[in-house]
Amino acid sequence: MTLTLTRPRSVARQVLPGGPPQGRTLGYLFLVPAGLLYAGFVLWPLAQSLYLSLTDWDGASPDRRFVGLANFRRLLGDDLFWRSLGHNLIWVVVGTALTMGVALLLAMLVWSRPRGFTALRTIYFMPQVLPAIIVGIVWSWIYNPAFGILNRALEAVGLESWTRGWLGDPSFALYAVLLASVWATVGLAFVIFTAALHNVDTDLIDAARVDGANGWQRFRHVVIPQLSNAITLVVVLLLVHGFQAFDHVWIMTKGGPDDATQLIATYTYQKAFMENEVGYGATLSLVLTAISLLVSIAVVRVRERA
Amino acid sequence: MTITVKTARYLILLLFALLFVMPFLWIWFSALKSTAEINQDPFGVPATLHWENLAEAWTTGRFGSYIGNSVLYAAFVVPLVTAFSCLAGYALGTRRLPGERLIFGAFLVGIMIPFQSIMIPQYYLVRDLGILGTYWGVIVPSVALGLAFGVFLMRAFFRGLPEEISNAARIDGASEWRVFTRIILPLARPGIITLVVLQFMFTWNMFLIPLLYGQDEGLRPISTGIMFFVGEYSVDRSMIAAGVTLASIPIIALYLLLQRHFIQGMTAGALK
Repeated sequence: MTLTLTRPRSVARQVLPGGPPQGRTLGYLFLVPAGLLYAGFVLWPLAQSLYLSLTDWDGASPDRRFVGLANFRRLLGDDLFWRSLGHNLIWVVVGTALTMGVALLLAMLVWSRPRGFTALRTIYFMPQVLPAIIVGIVWSWIYNPAFGILNRALEAVGLESWTRGWLGDPSFALYAVLLASVWATVGLAFVIFTAALHNVDTDLIDAARVDGANGWQRFRHVVIPQLSNAITLVVVLLLVHGFQAFDHVWIMTKGGPDDATQLIATYTYQKAFMENEVGYGATLSLVLTAISLLVSIAVVRVRERA
Repeated sequence: MTITVKTARYLILLLFALLFVMPFLWIWFSALKSTAEINQDPFGVPATLHWENLAEAWTTGRFGSYIGNSVLYAAFVVPLVTAFSCLAGYALGTRRLPGERLIFGAFLVGIMIPFQSIMIPQYYLVRDLGILGTYWGVIVPSVALGLAFGVFLMRAFFRGLPEEISNAARIDGASEWRVFTRIILPLARPGIITLVVLQFMFTWNMFLIPLLYGQDEGLRPISTGIMFFVGEYSVDRSMIAAGVTLASIPIIALYLLLQRHFIQGMTAGALK
């Protein structure tokens, strides 16, 4: 009995140190379809954007004139680029704070898995599975100055002076789109926090209560430290999403009014595909690539240390 | 816990539930109203329910053909991504190939960067290959982009499977291919289902890819289809609401049926 159970393992050690030669060939064969497609349509374009950023190509002319670092110099002096980057920073900071706050609050409230927990989780997570176009349209309607429910609701409670065309007002548009985006992503953060809270050691909380810690102190000094992994994860997710944000903005405002909602991603799209400045567009896209890689690598480092 | 605290808690929870669900109910309900009724009173109850809005959106609004395209894209992209990811994930997860770390690292880059990092050269690649303006022009880039996450997910899954079973089959004389199809794939079913569900959602919801590669009227899936419809007929609100309803019902129905996979899959995706 023991013999038959151990035999495969010992054979495995003999046969598979690095895989048998014929198994290796098969392994490489298995990699071919994914490898070719991925190399051709993802890695090769990634390398090409480096090259394109050194040209002033317009997307149509046969020659791609090499201009050295001219696009990068232009980038440094491009006010709209810095404004877009600033919008991305607002997006990341405000969006992260809001999402974390709401998700943590909701997760704490359902910690004890009260009746209706599954139904609530289903509902909170639902916007997450929807196409951005639907989120965009729904929120454009909510903000609509003529028939939107936001203005109607403000009128109903006597705040007529607050009503406005939310997406048409340069000082509010960015926050209006951001709110829609937060609404659509809060469910994911909530689910991650709920799962993490499930593993929190409740004995520690009881001990803290016995020691006289009040609710806030227990939350701040006992619960939060145990959630640190989940919090890091959510912050990173929101950071990456925040810098890459495109869909909701493009659908609701296309970067307007007066570039008030222009983000790096929308600005890149606009330059490359609407104004045919392919070389400069590629330069802008490299900024996105660099930020994304930096954030991801920083995360891996932080995780390894933890 | 006291009754009042409990009540307060439920009140907050329900308030947020309303906040997440109301916008949909509002639009779905608007789909059954006339445009005049929507403009007049957004909360109002219509005189009669205009079910014909949905039929009209399906035919006149061409949402039927947009949904048809979305289904077609999903029908190609989801199986291709799943099959290629299983093959590559198995190779990278269990075969201990020389160069494996480098290859896996290359796939990881694809998870870290956004589509915008590659879209510009990719667009001209698709154009130069002569597939811009065809269904393949949307399908091929979508498959390539789906692979990074697919390979990552399946590799992790295959690594977690015990080796003893497949080795036992090898000793009994099963070929490597047979081991893969008869033993490994059935064991990996939960992972495959998660990938299928997520990839379906990504494909159904994709926006920027068809915006770039599916600009022709006949190629538009539901997401960009609605956007162009809104651009052209922004005053026809009941039709827009009907389109939104038609586009959201399939994905929401699927979500309600398979929510465990959605939630687990997206959390696993987040943990990447």
